[in-house]
Amino acid sequence: MKSGKAAVAAGLLVAGCLVACSTAPAAGIRHQVALVGKSDTSEFFLSVYAGAQAAAAEYNVELTIYSPDTEEDYDAQNQLVEDAVASGAEALVYSAVDFENNAAVIDDAARQGVKIVAIDSNVDSDAVQTYIGTDNYAAGQMAAQAALDGVEGSLQVGIVNYDVSSANGQEREQGAVEAFQQSGRVDGITVINTLAEAGQAQADTAALLLEHPDLNVILAFNEPTSVGAANAVRSLEAADRVFLVGFDSNVSTIDGLQDGTVDALVVQNPYAMGYLGVESACRLLGGQGTDLEKTVDTATRIVNRDNMFTMDSQKVLFAFEQR
Amino acid sequence: MKRPKGTGLRITTILVAMVVGVVAIILVVCIGLFLDRYRSAMVQNARTSSAQAVSQVSNTVANYLDDMDQAMEIVQQTLDEPDETRDRMLQAFLYFRPDVVAVTSYDEAGNLLDCWAIGHELKDNALENLSFDREQAASGADSFMLAPHVESIFDSYYPWVVTMTTRLDSGSDAAWVSLDLSFSSLSSYINNVGIGQRGYCFLIDEDGNLVYHPQQQLIYSGLKTEDTAGPAALADGVYDDDTVITCVNSVGDSGWRVVGVSYVDELVDRNVTEMVYLSAELGALVLVVALLTSWLLSRLLGRPLRGLADAMERFEQEADHFAYHPVGGTREVRELSDSFGHMVVRIQKLMNTVREEEVNLRKTELKALQAQINPHFLYNTLDSIAWMCEQGKNADAVNMVHALARLFRISISKGHELIPVRREIEHAESYLQIQKYRYKNQFTYSFDVDPDCLDYLCNKITLQPIIENAINHGLDLMVEEGHIDVQIRPDGDDIVFRVIDDGVGMSEEKIRTVLQEGPSDRTGIGIKNVNDRLKIYFGQQYGLHIHSVPDEGTCVEIRMPKVTGEGNHEIR
Repeated sequence: MKSGKAAVAAGLLVAGCLVACSTAPAAGIRHQVALVGKSDTSEFFLSVYAGAQAAAAEYNVELTIYSPDTEEDYDAQNQLVEDAVASGAEALVYSAVDFENNAAVIDDAARQGVKIVAIDSNVDSDAVQTYIGTDNYAAGQMAAQAALDGVEGSLQVGIVNYDVSSANGQEREQGAVEAFQQSGRVDGITVINTLAEAGQAQADTAALLLEHPDLNVILAFNEPTSVGAANAVRSLEAADRVFLVGFDSNVSTIDGLQDGTVDALVVQNPYAMGYLGVESACRLLGGQGTDLEKTVDTATRIVNRDNMFTMDSQKVLFAFEQR
Repeated sequence: MKRPKGTGLRITTILVAMVVGVVAIILVVCIGLFLDRYRSAMVQNARTSSAQAVSQVSNTVANYLDDMDQAMEIVQQTLDEPDETRDRMLQAFLYFRPDVVAVTSYDEAGNLLDCWAIGHELKDNALENLSFDREQAASGADSFMLAPHVESIFDSYYPWVVTMTTRLDSGSDAAWVSLDLSFSSLSSYINNVGIGQRGYCFLIDEDGNLVYHPQQQLIYSGLKTEDTAGPAALADGVYDDDTVITCVNSVGDSGWRVVGVSYVDELVDRNVTEMVYLSAELGALVLVVALLTSWLLSRLLGRPLRGLADAMERFEQEADHFAYHPVGGTREVRELSDSFGHMVVRIQKLMNTVREEEVNLRKTELKALQAQINPHFLYNTLDSIAWMCEQGKNADAVNMVHALARLFRISISKGHELIPVRREIEHAESYLQIQKYRYKNQFTYSFDVDPDCLDYLCNKITLQPIIENAINHGLDLMVEEGHIDVQIRPDGDDIVFRVIDDGVGMSEEKIRTVLQEGPSDRTGIGIKNVNDRLKIYFGQQYGLHIHSVPDEGTCVEIRMPKVTGEGNHEIR
């Protein structure tokens, strides 16, 4: 009977539809994302974490933040990565202490299916799906250019860099050195590598200044070294003869910028790194990994005494959210 | 009669299609209208809730600003107090108003005179003070508010603030007093306001600068943008386009405005989509119910009708043995069925009547013919007998008289139609005897009879017309002597009579004429009558078959069933 079959078919159709509707998406379990940074004291990383938390709240993921005690101990950071993976992280937002020595643990994590997003400081691993951070070479050039613009005549440059195995510090140094060499106005460049910690950086910078009394430019390549260099210049009362270019925003260097100790700051966008890092991790977990760019350049801005209180500079120098 | 089967639509199909079609159309129209109304209601609803949320925020912020105006009055009064009391009172004020970062006073030129704050030291030489706008002060306004900026007068402390500044009336050095307000209170008023899941509010000033936004840090970091110029150009009210509902509301007369942004898709589209699914499900359900109902209905109606139609068709094909089983169903169908049942009975009765009448007619016809033949035949035979007597052939005359007597006795047979085969043979033999005398021995004859057949019954006067035909058409025209052979053999359940002559034979046309026409010019029963009688008595498969070859002879074959008791086959 023809109509009989039709009736049965229609019945099945409706039944199928009802079943399909009732099995519609159940509330998903929140994804676990881990952020392994380099520090829990620098304003830079606090800002990274704030951005990460904002993204975690927006994308409804569970974010756990891990920070080592120092910015040099890659073993400790490897341990943190392992801890994060062991506790069930599905994606890792990562800023590497050591470009090479942190690579193995990242490869391991990737093999266990963890998605890897590098921020701020990259790591030597193919598992990194996207890198979000400053164009460090350009930032180094920018710092050098600020010094070249601010100092007339020939330059005696001292570079206060942090750990030699950190990728971003080395790239900045390379950018700066090459910019200086191209200018033809640089008589000498002295590079010291210190710890990413203000006290040690101050001591080492002070030693450098005493050893090279003719230095008239100092570049410091991250926030703690900049704070340390500023303190050294202040304590040696060398603000007039030394043109100090620092990195990132710290109340100490901002104070220095106003009292003349610091002459220019290359300000990165740590909040964006944290935010975009977690956002990319969420996209990877959501299966949209193919849309991601291999490298995302977060904006960098040079701030000096003249422009530090313009609205745009205020926005990058001073965190709006209270921490 | 062949009927076109399987063409045309069944009542089931038509009924189901019509009901489902009508229901589907009604459903589509109703659902369409409903969804349209529902969507506009939802949009209105979303606009209302957006407007409510924004006006609530606006009221809260207005209250906060009123509060701050009152605080400002207290501060103004406090400034008139002696220095020591003033400092103590302002410290207490700051302690109870943690969102006031600093109280500052300025001279007419905008130079910072005094600053009260808890826990933070003034810079020795502040590079710039962002909290005082000399241009606005010079423009003659009595009070004004500054857009968000960083507090830049403290050592190592740079919070974001908005500044309220008011002119002092007294003639002291201080011409202006300012309150630097942090965003802690404003953020608590605005952050938690949600319109739908993703909707939010933010605060702009009259120039379209962002005052406070729940995602201010994201905006300042360049990760998000918010169009502040658009809402700033709008009058207070609710505006919606396809994706976003924007609601603007001024905060008292402060110049600040609250902007609420909510999303049509989550407030409206999601509900509408849900409703679309629900309607689709309901619609499908209704359709299925309609389908089932109409199907059942049509079954109720169509099935018995089809049963009736089938019964009629069967009846048409075989009316005699058709037994009608009434069809169940609705009252109308039962009535139809009953009528058909009555009709079947009536038709079968009528058919029987017709058949009986026909048989009776034949029987009457036959009797009339038999009655007709006798005097004619009798006259000829008696003539022959008289002639024999005259010739002195007394023995022959005696034989003739005996044969004649036997012939008549068997013809009468007490009125029975069926007689034993042996009697029929006697009848045929008597006839042949008489004819042989009459035809002066022009032919010979022989009987070849299976003894098993003798006791079965056959119609009387079956052989005689055939033999008469053989003599008249086969042998009469011959010059030399002919021969007639009568064979009777059983054949399964039948008996076969054959009358074979070696006469001139008959053409096809002649055979047809003999079988189709009754005796015309001649009197007698005739071959056609014999054939018809057999068929009426025993059925269509029985009867007569003529096989003839011209100049060689004719064989007439008569087939009838083996009949034992006369009763069964007596004419009904």
